[in-house]
Amino acid sequence: MNLGNLNSNNRSMSLVWIIAAGLAIVLGGLLIASFTPSIFPAQGSSQSLQVDTLFRFMLAIGGMIFLLVNGVLLYSVIRFRHRKGDNSDGPPIHGNTTLEFTWTVIPAIIVLILTVYSYTVYNSILAPVPNEMDINVTAQRFAWTFTYSITKDTLPEGVTLDQLPADTQAALNAGKSITFNSPQLHTWVNQPMHVLLNSEDVNHAFWVPGMRVKQDVLPGRTTDTRFTPIEDGVYRIECAELCGTGHGGMAGSVVDGVLQGSWLVVHSSEADYMSQFYDPQAKAVLFPPTDPAVLGKQILASGAYPCPTCHTLGALNWTGTIGPHLDGVGTRAATRVAGQTAEQYITNSIRNPAAFIVPGFTNDMPQFHDSADQTNYMPDSDLQAIVAFLLTQK
Amino acid sequence: MATITRPLPGVATEGEHGPGISKYLRWSVDHKVIGIQYMVTSLCFMIIGGALAELIRTELLTPSLDVMQTGQQYNQLFSIHGTVMIFLFIIPFFAGLGNYLVPLMLGAKDMAFPWLNAFAFWLILPAGIFLLLGWFAGQAEAGWTSYPPLSTLFSGDGQTMWAISLHLLGLSSILGSINFIVTIKNMRPEGMGYFQMPLFVWAILATAIIAVLATPFLAGALTLMILDRVAGTSFFNPAQGGDVLLWQNVFWFYSHPAVYIMVLPGFGILSEVLSTHSRKPIFGYRAIALSSMAIALVGFTVWGHHMFTSLTPELRIPFMITSMIIAVPTGIKIFSWLGTIWGGKIHFRAAMLFALGFLSMFVIGGISGVMLASIPFDIDVTDTYFVVSHLHFVLYGGSVFAIFAGIYHWFPKITGRMLNERLGKIHFWITFVSFFFTYFPMTLLGIEGMPRRVAIYAPEYQGLNDLISFSAFVLGLATFILIFNMIWSLSHGKRAGANPWRALTLEWATTSPPPEHNFVGDPVPFKNPYGYGTQASYAYLNAIDDQFGPPELPPETRELTTPKPATSGAGD
Repeated sequence: MNLGNLNSNNRSMSLVWIIAAGLAIVLGGLLIASFTPSIFPAQGSSQSLQVDTLFRFMLAIGGMIFLLVNGVLLYSVIRFRHRKGDNSDGPPIHGNTTLEFTWTVIPAIIVLILTVYSYTVYNSILAPVPNEMDINVTAQRFAWTFTYSITKDTLPEGVTLDQLPADTQAALNAGKSITFNSPQLHTWVNQPMHVLLNSEDVNHAFWVPGMRVKQDVLPGRTTDTRFTPIEDGVYRIECAELCGTGHGGMAGSVVDGVLQGSWLVVHSSEADYMSQFYDPQAKAVLFPPTDPAVLGKQILASGAYPCPTCHTLGALNWTGTIGPHLDGVGTRAATRVAGQTAEQYITNSIRNPAAFIVPGFTNDMPQFHDSADQTNYMPDSDLQAIVAFLLTQK
Repeated sequence: MATITRPLPGVATEGEHGPGISKYLRWSVDHKVIGIQYMVTSLCFMIIGGALAELIRTELLTPSLDVMQTGQQYNQLFSIHGTVMIFLFIIPFFAGLGNYLVPLMLGAKDMAFPWLNAFAFWLILPAGIFLLLGWFAGQAEAGWTSYPPLSTLFSGDGQTMWAISLHLLGLSSILGSINFIVTIKNMRPEGMGYFQMPLFVWAILATAIIAVLATPFLAGALTLMILDRVAGTSFFNPAQGGDVLLWQNVFWFYSHPAVYIMVLPGFGILSEVLSTHSRKPIFGYRAIALSSMAIALVGFTVWGHHMFTSLTPELRIPFMITSMIIAVPTGIKIFSWLGTIWGGKIHFRAAMLFALGFLSMFVIGGISGVMLASIPFDIDVTDTYFVVSHLHFVLYGGSVFAIFAGIYHWFPKITGRMLNERLGKIHFWITFVSFFFTYFPMTLLGIEGMPRRVAIYAPEYQGLNDLISFSAFVLGLATFILIFNMIWSLSHGKRAGANPWRALTLEWATTSPPPEHNFVGDPVPFKNPYGYGTQASYAYLNAIDDQFGPPELPPETRELTTPKPATSGAGD
């Protein structure tokens, strides 16, 4: 098998060995690729089937190349190791045109095949499909907010237009929609999703490993991505682009067995989606509670604002540690800044958080503005309700 | 046939009564002093960057934030780890080795611009210290890639210092590279055309061309970032009409070629080490030399593959095509190196072990690199631990293994002393095994769903993370075996003689360490730097031993020094 002695008398023997080694390499590559299902997260989308098959194909070829290179390496270091007493050099072979041509052309063909295959998969996974559900997604340090629309035609079960307050009726009749927010993205099996991504501050990346979908969220433009869930269940949503101190927490988590933060919830049917998610959420927004404290709790629970990643609050199962605890804030707030009542203090802490930093914490909280033109917009009505709720946290 | 010029009596031997370390602490225009200054400085930064890496791994032992006080601190850790390892360890180390070796390999007395050479080096240390001082001003926290607007609107003033520091390091890189290009073009000896140059020189040439063409783009991007941060401009602020993708495009237009700045010199080292220690000519010299240039050129067209999740979807496709193509010249090199060792007489010295370790592990980085060029798969695993694994297989399994191989190979030339081979082998085996268990499990983590750059992660990833962390601790400690070996051997190592490895390139045709002007008289290069296995090469190597005296070698390698007639080969 010495390259310098290809014409030696044991050439036929070499050929047998080469074929055997080639077979071992091919089988080895296939064997490596066959392990992949055990390392991937569950295949949750139609995209995941195609991406995983592509990966398995690449891994089989990659495994063969790995075995080829390391096999030749291992064979060489054993067979061609320097032996004691041998002071000579190896044969002065400077190259072999046929061989060099072969190992240029075969890799070129492999990458050509991979490029064409990848291209077809890529074209397919991001292609628009009929009946997509458009969902607006807002990324901000450090939470995801998913916004659903209610129109005249998508009123929740058992609700008719004339039951609604007059201004809501007028808006819906004018073709406008009422929106509600959720920290979780809900859909159902086989419902194609089209997510439209916007950022309030820095770059983020929307990633659902179970769907094999990732797209950067860039301030100043709307980006989008698509996926079609095929299995019901819950799938963690993560931020994959460094966005600051709470980057790792901008993902779904499990707190005491309860899903917290951003998850993709795939219901088994549209009926389940409507009854378990859409109808109750829509009703809560269409008929807002009159007690501001109750309304405030509802707003915070909806994930409209990114508070849970940084703050701990038992009433809402929040466990963030980047900012001060909110348990008992209703009592503490009056003692923080001289001359400010508890209500004034909480209001200021949201509208202008940099004005007073609780000792032991850093200035990382975004400023929530009162104007819709600005980033991190929080209308006065929301603010008042949130403050009212927080004041009840004695 | 090669001849060797006799040294003037009494001039050739230096080292015994050398001027000590003080000349390395001062401004010097001697390329050898500058080379050592570069390499020692960068190895110090390697220890700093390594310590940061161990802190990162300590934090990641548990899924929650416990060692660091805030996520921000953790972000600062890996930002500075990456920046130090890339800009203050790998790039300057190769610049230093290139500085030391290129004039010697060309038979020249120094670099073309000695003063410029010293100036380029003396930018490194101030820039590095300035970068680290950022801890006191709110250290950069946006990763070594420093994407705005996180780096412009949120990071502390350390981010501005980071940008200024990189500016200086970039300037150093450009000046050093111009020097390399001019030296290689103009200072080759009589009889050495481009295709008679050692492949390390080819690699440095390709690297220098990339650095000169690409680094100005980094400077441009950094200038815009500094302006955004201190002068109120908004190149990257979309709220005022800027664009965040502008940074990504310009940054990666530099930083992808920079990946080749970090690995091509390693390829060069590999060609020298593999050929010398397997006693066989390099297989496919022209293919290796020209594939470096092909990589250099194609490397400028692939930057978009870092942006497969941020670029406009249609724009991603051309970058997939070019990124796939660049695998071919890299493959040519790997196969040519296998052809080089095939049929040779492989001597398992530490330098060779690291070179073989490179071959074995770099191929994993290459395979995962091709996978990442495939857009659909990249979309899933980009910005995850899969990428962390890939880049460390390339930069540790590639560049750092090559640096270690280079240290074991050229330490005798640089210091006149041999490194301890037994310690070297222990260093290799611990490094090789712990390297694999540090970086390979990361591919699994990435596929399973763990993003990069997070201090807190889902509890189900803890097992693999602990395995990685413990391996990383071993890997870090193993490096001290090398450092101890270097310091110990400096005074206790066996005398190397001129040519302990019986290599044919010109740096071995002078004393170790070489005299101030490298050679006494004009050296005449052997006509093929890899012409092993011929009568002519035996005669040439024996003549060198006769001239400079044989090395004082450990018994197991002593036999190499006795002249022996060739047993194979028909002559050159």
